[in-house]
Amino acid sequence: MTPIGRSRREAWAALGENLRIAVRALRAHKLRTVLTVIGNVVAVMSVIAVVSIIDGVNKYVSERILDQGLNVVYIDKFGLITDDEAYREAAKRRDLTSYEADVLASRMQLASHVVAQAEANKAIRYRGTELKNIRILGTTEGYPAVGKYETDQGRELEDTDFQRRRPVCVIGSEVAETLFPRIDPVGQSIKVSGYELLVVGTLVARGNVLGQSQDNLVVIPLGQFEKMYGAHRSLTIIVGAASGVTLDRLEDEARVVLRAARHVPLGAPDDFAFSTAETYMALYQTLTGGIFAGTIGLVAISLVVGGIVIMNIMLVAVTERTREIGIRKAVGAKRSDLVSQFLSEAVVLAFFGGLLGVLAGVAIALLIRTITPLPATIQPWSVAISLTVASAVGLFFGVYPATRAARLDPIVALRQE
Amino acid sequence: MSTNGVLIDIADVRKVYEMGTTEVNALDGVSLRILAGEYVAVMGPSGSGKSTLMNIVGCLDTPTSGSYKLRGTEIRERDDDELARIRNQEIGFVFQTFNLLPRADALHNVELPLIYSGTPATERRERAKAMLAMVGLGDRTHHRPNELSGGQRQRVAIARALVNNPSLVLADEPTGNLDSRTGLEILALLDEINAKGNTVVLVTHEEDVAVRAHRIVRLRDGKIESDKPVAKAGATPGA
Repeated sequence: MTPIGRSRREAWAALGENLRIAVRALRAHKLRTVLTVIGNVVAVMSVIAVVSIIDGVNKYVSERILDQGLNVVYIDKFGLITDDEAYREAAKRRDLTSYEADVLASRMQLASHVVAQAEANKAIRYRGTELKNIRILGTTEGYPAVGKYETDQGRELEDTDFQRRRPVCVIGSEVAETLFPRIDPVGQSIKVSGYELLVVGTLVARGNVLGQSQDNLVVIPLGQFEKMYGAHRSLTIIVGAASGVTLDRLEDEARVVLRAARHVPLGAPDDFAFSTAETYMALYQTLTGGIFAGTIGLVAISLVVGGIVIMNIMLVAVTERTREIGIRKAVGAKRSDLVSQFLSEAVVLAFFGGLLGVLAGVAIALLIRTITPLPATIQPWSVAISLTVASAVGLFFGVYPATRAARLDPIVALRQE
Repeated sequence: MSTNGVLIDIADVRKVYEMGTTEVNALDGVSLRILAGEYVAVMGPSGSGKSTLMNIVGCLDTPTSGSYKLRGTEIRERDDDELARIRNQEIGFVFQTFNLLPRADALHNVELPLIYSGTPATERRERAKAMLAMVGLGDRTHHRPNELSGGQRQRVAIARALVNNPSLVLADEPTGNLDSRTGLEILALLDEINAKGNTVVLVTHEEDVAVRAHRIVRLRDGKIESDKPVAKAGATPGA
């Protein structure tokens, strides 16, 4: 038997022994054990629940958003505005008009569609029923391709509807169901901002994105929209990529065409902005990252508080078990034996809290998955990291009580009743 | 052993405690030699220094001055961990209050010294079981202390004291918490242990307990008052 083999075996034996002692000691005070680890439970639960929820939301949002706007570049005056300064700068830019849309449509080689749109939120009415806050979307031809709108009943808006600026509309499934619960909406007229619009078709339901219904809208020809709300508003131009064209190339071509059309001087910045579904996803992920960072703060506080509670209870345990410590020392326990015994106990305690936290976090994630459409999944890395950190808290805050135990004088300790 | 059978060699040991501003000489120049295989009783009224002497002999404490050699090894200069190792290897304690771990069963209590000496688990279990059988508790291995009688608890403690084959069994008032009949059984067990060759040092204040030993050391005021062999009146049969 080599000395190394011997000492390694001793170390393993001691570890097993320490774990058994720890579990026995903690089972002797079940309620106290549970109360002690609440800090760790909360911390680990938050990490696991928040990570799985954020992951679920991200997955959900990317499926929904990317699915709707893939292979499409949005061009407008503002782009993705995140602060006041940028907004004020962008507000000074010239509006995008149907002129630019026409130029893009005629000059771009890589575009499959160029669609100009404007929108407003208005109330709509059919007989006695009024619906507030409905998205009125004025669009040019090609809207089904760039927005993934599929016709359910009736027909799409057609060439002549656009050319003649007809007062016709296609309505979202939710509008159709609420205004026309019993009759066929096609052929009926709805009233929007004082104009009678003939319903020529309905759209297939598209569901919710982030709790926002995608079916609460009325699509009308852009010309009709301008008749109703005036032509002096900046349009959003949506350019769809021809097959095999990347969004980067599409954006580059659109930029060259637009700068020429708007006479932007060489070297001056664009006076319009591009955004894609990915742009919004990126913004979205920054937001969820912020939520995650907030959670980390909460978790850090819970862990520190939890650690202090664990340290306190371990100090109580050392006092309660002074005699046990004396006995162990009398039969040959070294300081290191007692340090590792009480450290193990603190770590087991903290780890146990972590395990409870994992159970609670998983329960929350499963609950969310059941009652919401978010596909919240448990991330193994979040379980691993939070359990490790929770145990490390036990290790850190266990050092002081364990050292106190190890330093007890065996004579004094044995005398204690 | 290179020490001619001398197990304990105490020379002019002093132990001074500071009690506030005054110093108390708990041991005031004690010299004592105990040979391997002896059965010695240490007697004395309370405050005589017998507890202090026991703590020093048991390596729970170190002398302020003087020399204590256990099997030829000087104890005075040892640090905590070395003392722990010596207690583990060389000394088996039997206490008045048994001092068993309340939450552990008899077997685990007996295994304790073997755990700290790093004995592998299977060997540990075997030796602890054998030792419990030796003290007559082979059928009580999984009982906890509160499920055992006082005499049985003290037997567990004796099994624990012997399990690591120590050179010295140190019994501190081992019958103090037992009724007289059970006390006699425990003393008979100690006789038996000594008869098998173990050195036994017994601390007591009861005369009829002390006479079971082969030699009685009497302490008073931190000094040895007398040190006499017990007149052999033939082997006393156990109860």
